[in-house]
Amino acid sequence: MTLTIDRCHDPYIRCAFYGAAQTVLGISGCCTLAHSPQGCHMLVDTAFSWQDEDYTETQTLCTKLCEDEIVYGGENILARTILEAKSLNIPVVFVLSTCGPEIVGDDIVTVCEEIQPKVNFKVIPIECAGFRGSQYDGVDIALDILLKKLTVNDRQKIANSVCLIAPHANANPSWMGDLAWVKNVLSEMGARVVATLTHRTALSEFENVSAAETSIVLSHDAGQKAADYLAKKFGVEQLCRDIPLPIGFTNTQQWLAKLGDVFNAKDIAENLVAKGEKMVVERCRRKWLELYPFHLEPVAIVADATIGVPLFRFVTEELEAIPKLIYLRSSQKTAENILEKELQELNLSPRVAYHTDVYQTKKSLEEVKPQAVFGSEIEKYAVEDLDIPLVFELVNPITSFRIFDREYFGYTGMLNLLEIIQNSYWDQYRSKLRRYKARW
Amino acid sequence: MDNDYIAFHGTLQQLLEKVERGEVIPKLQASHAPPCKFWTAFMVINGIRHTAPLIHGPTGCTYSVANAYKMRSCEYRGVPLEPTTCTALDETNVVYGGEGKLIEAVKEADKKYHPDLIVILSCCCSGIIGDDVETIARETESIVNARVIAIRSEGFGGDFRSGYEDAFRAIMQLMEPPKEKMKETINILGARIGPTYTEWTMDLEEVERLVHAIGVKINAVIAGGCTVEQIRRAPEVELNASWCYDWGQKIGDLMEEKYGIPYSRTGQPYGLRATEEWIMGVAKPLGLEKRAEKVIEEETKQVRHEVGYLRQIFNGKTAIVEITEFPGPIRALSLARMAEEFGAHPIVMNIHPYTIKERMPSIKFLLEQGQNPEVVLTKGLFSLGTFQSSRETEDELERIAAEYDNAIYLGNPERYPNIPVVNLTVQTGYPQYGYQGIRNIARLIKSATENASRPRSRLFRQVLYGN
Repeated sequence: MTLTIDRCHDPYIRCAFYGAAQTVLGISGCCTLAHSPQGCHMLVDTAFSWQDEDYTETQTLCTKLCEDEIVYGGENILARTILEAKSLNIPVVFVLSTCGPEIVGDDIVTVCEEIQPKVNFKVIPIECAGFRGSQYDGVDIALDILLKKLTVNDRQKIANSVCLIAPHANANPSWMGDLAWVKNVLSEMGARVVATLTHRTALSEFENVSAAETSIVLSHDAGQKAADYLAKKFGVEQLCRDIPLPIGFTNTQQWLAKLGDVFNAKDIAENLVAKGEKMVVERCRRKWLELYPFHLEPVAIVADATIGVPLFRFVTEELEAIPKLIYLRSSQKTAENILEKELQELNLSPRVAYHTDVYQTKKSLEEVKPQAVFGSEIEKYAVEDLDIPLVFELVNPITSFRIFDREYFGYTGMLNLLEIIQNSYWDQYRSKLRRYKARW
Repeated sequence: MDNDYIAFHGTLQQLLEKVERGEVIPKLQASHAPPCKFWTAFMVINGIRHTAPLIHGPTGCTYSVANAYKMRSCEYRGVPLEPTTCTALDETNVVYGGEGKLIEAVKEADKKYHPDLIVILSCCCSGIIGDDVETIARETESIVNARVIAIRSEGFGGDFRSGYEDAFRAIMQLMEPPKEKMKETINILGARIGPTYTEWTMDLEEVERLVHAIGVKINAVIAGGCTVEQIRRAPEVELNASWCYDWGQKIGDLMEEKYGIPYSRTGQPYGLRATEEWIMGVAKPLGLEKRAEKVIEEETKQVRHEVGYLRQIFNGKTAIVEITEFPGPIRALSLARMAEEFGAHPIVMNIHPYTIKERMPSIKFLLEQGQNPEVVLTKGLFSLGTFQSSRETEDELERIAAEYDNAIYLGNPERYPNIPVVNLTVQTGYPQYGYQGIRNIARLIKSATENASRPRSRLFRQVLYGN
């Protein structure tokens, strides 16, 4: 196992500012104000898309700092821009600071405090400069502020209630499908989701957070700190903390069983598993499961931990492949522990790295020479000259635009994964050559 | 014109004067932000093959430009994946400085990637803490195999335009004084974005076709897929030309000043006249007028039907060219000129004062060339909120279009002002430059005029404007 932070690093992920922007943009009807030069605003635009925001509802502003503001300070322009936002009819402005103003010492917290009485919306500062860490650190920074600023203490616990954490820290490009699946199974078990942190989250949901009995972190890359905070501050019990997220038969069964136990819905959970597994098997039988490409073939997983960790068991058990390399984009202690346990249980010892970069991935793939890589568009191009025949694009970045949210979690999630894998497999072997010309 | 929604109505010259006098604020509203100079400097150096960009900053800037430009080049331009690296500055580096880390990173980049060129790009962090990227570039160049240059590209240091210009200026360091002249050879300047040609590959291909047709060779397209060796030899050409006057102007001027290489100052080759000017702008300094005239004659003959059609359609019409969303200010002015050439009266709508300020040298050049179209700025252009601004300007465009009996709209199909809408954004409509461009634009205009009465898609309208 290696942990890489090179001096010359070709990164897979963005910075803390981006992660914080992703997080606050999950709050419905919000307005973000990047206290930054205008280039950082491009990251807000990307975060906007990641949360599937609607431009008719959500505003993104930027103070567009120039040399003058770096030399003389940008607090005045920040205050002016917040006042300008009065015309937008919004409930909240999240002020996100970036490297420049944080280094020169702009005090966004005081600016926001002083201007709050002059505006009729909430103004919440989040100090999330890029140098503070990765995008996953940014998710944690923003969640921390949101929980401290927006939650209330005195809510009575709601029976069978859940707070979902960090669904957006998931490299499935249509991760909203995963979130929807989770909400659906919780609903079937009679559990009530009182807050989602964050996706299409109403401001009022934060008031319910302390009423939650339980929390579930929907990411192996971020969100653990928020769960720890909720446990400590409001006694919110974290569920499924030490097991992989529900991808594949075993992980899904295990995950649903845990929830069934907690919510007194053991029968429902068992029924969901039985019905789900039957559905997958029957569908694969009828549609024909392509099982030849993987049996005992050496494969690699290059992904975020959220997809990468549970994918390991799916690839090993369901596809009968032999993972020889697992390279993950982050390293959260809980995720590392889960993966270690999984490796032991499945009695496999692939090469593992956390915080990988593109160079390290490419070089290791060159050495390991798997027959297939479960990864992203980056690996597709990185291995072009390495004689690795198959790359399945499962995680971001993927250029293909998707109208529909496709989950990887649960049983339909398994079918979605199989569909991507099978289509890519046959695409690889499509003939580009026409051996003779047709006559018509 | 009813003026309750008009913020400015006059000529381009008058708008320029207002901007110069400070009577209109040349700043975009807080909801509208183009890239910073880091992004645009990266766009230029990304067009040099076998380069390892080394961003002296955190991962956010780095991954974002890699994702935006490198991956697109792999996906759509047939280029291999090359590195985009950074020093991944963290809080400790910000406090104690990152120069040591940068020196090691240069060595590591050289060892890992074997590039021809390492370009150190500073960003906000390294710029503010005062890491001296230029000295490090000079010093490390002697200990690695690659050439090493630095660009001070901290995002706060300038607008998007200064990033292009500083990057082109930095590229000059890779040039060597000419040892010989490459006969009848030119460079094409001002390309950016990718290791293959610039954002509209097909336009550049048309320009290349015409250059080759008059028997001229191209040493390098700078920086659109050129090599370090081509840049090194760039001063050996007889002439520089540009794919777009605006983007080529800085490096063209610099090369003229330093190496005495003439720079062909012509606008974008939209329509017959501008295309002829572009070709003659290359041919005349090389003494190839006769060959060029022959090419022009032959090519013109081949598009005579399309030219006749364009004259028939444009004659007596008002051509509204709107640039809020597309095609960008310089292209809009080129389109306005083309419409005028074919007999229309052009009105350029919503060229933001910000654009006038940022592109001042190019705007002045176009005015000197006699391009001084009527300009209308509407109030919606200055609204806070991108959606708000977009919806208001659509309404305002519809009102303006309604004031003319015989108008045609050149722009993008996000707009639908109840007059023929010429969709200049469709990929299959490129190139728009040169003679092939005349064919394509004629086709697009034919479709627009023949189908002008068709209703707007309810789906499109509701998605775009919410009503």
